[in-house]
Amino acid sequence: MSHFNALASSWWDVNGPQRILHKMNLLRMDFIHSTIRENLKLNQHAQSEDDLVYIPPYNVDLLPKPIRDNIVGEIETRRDDLLSNAKYNVLDVGCGGGILSESMARLPFIGSVKGIDLSTDVLEAAKLHKLKDPMLATKLQYELSTIEELPEDKKYNIITMFEVLEHVDYPARVLIEGLKRLDVGGWLFISTINRDFISWFTTIFMGEYLLGIVPVGTHNLEKYINQTEIKEWLNESHERKESFRVADTKGCVYLPAYGWTFTSCPDVGNYFMAIQRAK
Amino acid sequence: MLSRSIRYFSNSAIRAATQVAPPTLQDVVIIGGGPAGLSLLATLKNSPKTKHLNCTLIEGGSLDKVREFATNPPQEYTNRCVSITPKTIDYMKHKIGSWDFIHEDRIKEYQGIIAYDGQDADSRVEFDVNSIGKDNLAAMCENINIQASLLAKVESLGLEDTTTIKDNTKVVDIINPLTPDLENHDLNEIDEVPGTGKLDWPIIKLSTGESIQTRLLVGCDGYNSPVRKYAQIESRGWQYNTFGVVATVKLQYEDFRSVGWQRFLTTGPLAILPLSEDNATIVWSSTPELSEILVKVNKDIFPRLVTAAMVLEETDLKYIYGLLKENPDDLSAVEEIEWRMSKVPEVVLEERYPAAIVSVLDGSRARFPLKLSHADTYVAPRVALVGDAAHTIHPLAGQGLNMGQSDVIHLVEALEKGIDRGLDLGSTLVLESYVSNAWPANHAMLGICDKMHKLFSTDFYPLVLARGLGMKTVNFLSPVKDMMMKSISL
Repeated sequence: MSHFNALASSWWDVNGPQRILHKMNLLRMDFIHSTIRENLKLNQHAQSEDDLVYIPPYNVDLLPKPIRDNIVGEIETRRDDLLSNAKYNVLDVGCGGGILSESMARLPFIGSVKGIDLSTDVLEAAKLHKLKDPMLATKLQYELSTIEELPEDKKYNIITMFEVLEHVDYPARVLIEGLKRLDVGGWLFISTINRDFISWFTTIFMGEYLLGIVPVGTHNLEKYINQTEIKEWLNESHERKESFRVADTKGCVYLPAYGWTFTSCPDVGNYFMAIQRAK
Repeated sequence: MLSRSIRYFSNSAIRAATQVAPPTLQDVVIIGGGPAGLSLLATLKNSPKTKHLNCTLIEGGSLDKVREFATNPPQEYTNRCVSITPKTIDYMKHKIGSWDFIHEDRIKEYQGIIAYDGQDADSRVEFDVNSIGKDNLAAMCENINIQASLLAKVESLGLEDTTTIKDNTKVVDIINPLTPDLENHDLNEIDEVPGTGKLDWPIIKLSTGESIQTRLLVGCDGYNSPVRKYAQIESRGWQYNTFGVVATVKLQYEDFRSVGWQRFLTTGPLAILPLSEDNATIVWSSTPELSEILVKVNKDIFPRLVTAAMVLEETDLKYIYGLLKENPDDLSAVEEIEWRMSKVPEVVLEERYPAAIVSVLDGSRARFPLKLSHADTYVAPRVALVGDAAHTIHPLAGQGLNMGQSDVIHLVEALEKGIDRGLDLGSTLVLESYVSNAWPANHAMLGICDKMHKLFSTDFYPLVLARGLGMKTVNFLSPVKDMMMKSISL
């Protein structure tokens, strides 16, 4: 935990040592936003036949352009409508200095964000930085707490655990606590690191030893989790298999002088995963 | 004791003053109501992603004339005309939606440019847009027509609660709250002011006495941009020691060729660009000395002088400039011009040169210094620069306004992306992509126009030969010509 306290002072300098994390946050937000947007149930609240949006069961790019644009335009407008009426509540587990929490709180379709962490120093940094933007004042709250300590009956539409699982001793327990608190239709977004040579090379050898982006000892290869292991774990129990589905998994990689980008291979290095509670 | 009490008094007075009028908070403050500033405001307000932002536009002058133009445009053309590319028009049609409000009858589309060397009229390049499968190369439009359409668009959106336009309002000072004025305040005092002390947003003090604190400050405030100075962004470049003279003129007849003409004289390029019917606008880049003559010269001589300058040899022109320098009303200069023009066969005049100019609109002549400048970057924390505040260019390729429009496109794209990602719009994380998308293309365009200016401002014979050869070659090589046309029209 002391690693994170040491990071607190420079957490919000976007050109400072945490720049790589700020850049990663851009990709996180793209992943969260597009997953939510693309998985909206477009016709769920349609009152009549006329209200239905046509969702073609084939690739729209096969259609002539004006027709395609019309269909896509209609779908996008419906998504805008649905999101403009939404007020999702968010739990950000391991919020650190609040980089993700703040971004989530600024989204128009988010009603409230609770960020929890175990380090007082980074929470202090988060609370101080929150004051720098008046639009966060009522939407964003921070709390020094573990997820277990939060009431179980309080449900969330979105729970995020970014770069958390590789730092805890019993990731399955944290995952269970997260899944328990998901509302029906709600999303659990996680990110962690595959346990392989590439991950060791990028996050530990380069990140800690060579470039010194994070203090030595921040990561521990043994705690890394392969994405297939999470999927297997979800299928292990019948109850979990019934209630949750993995909607998307994306690998991501940091390219110097460019930033973070998605890869087509979620089995190597860092990855994001979106789990939805189906029922 | 006395000094202590005075100090105490002054501190509490400051506190009282600040508490009486705390700065209004805004998301975006745009300084400058020119085409760049108004475009940015209209685009932000027309985009579903950014229309909820609280925006204020501040303009030092009055926008009454611009408003008046929207409903009741004057009969005659105004003298500030700009060339707008099909891409800019497309953007105004679809992204800003301001094209519906433009006076289209005052816009002249043209299909080509005929450019030729002042030293050798056979060295010419004839650009014809048909060869790249487009309808128009660009269109000539009055600056105020664009401004009026943008303002009308903003006002038609009915987003009054989030849109403020303050004209006749000057920016007195821009203050960074992180580096307070230590002579007049002390840190504790500033931090005590509720709601403002923690914000690192720039504070803009206005001549009306109000102050605004903004998440993002955008400087569309021209070449001498106070916003750029506030952000301590270095702008590099040079004066050309050249002045641009503009005027609105009448042609002998409406020229159905619909092309722009440009002659590269050693004193600078002279362009005649078509407006609707028999109107045209001229842009004559020239030496400081010549530009003074051009502005002063008798209004009956000026049209003949421009016509002659498109045709006659430079030695002849220099002789005539000499006469007019002595006496701007010297009507014998007209005889000198007529006599020399009569030596050029009429068929050649008709086919190879623009239609003669017969009169100049009163009061439409003006001159302004030409310069190249480019800011090292367009952004700083909570600051962005757009248009002339970021770059000024030689007018020879008619790219100035279009570069500003392309800045607006890239900046709004960056802001929309920032909204989707829930970022603070003043953060450099949002603004960086604006610079990386807009800066390199602008830099290339600035460089090309700069080299063109320099290449043609010499009469050093080997260079004249080389550029003549170059122009003739380019004129033969259609693919090269097409590429050049695409780069100035798209």
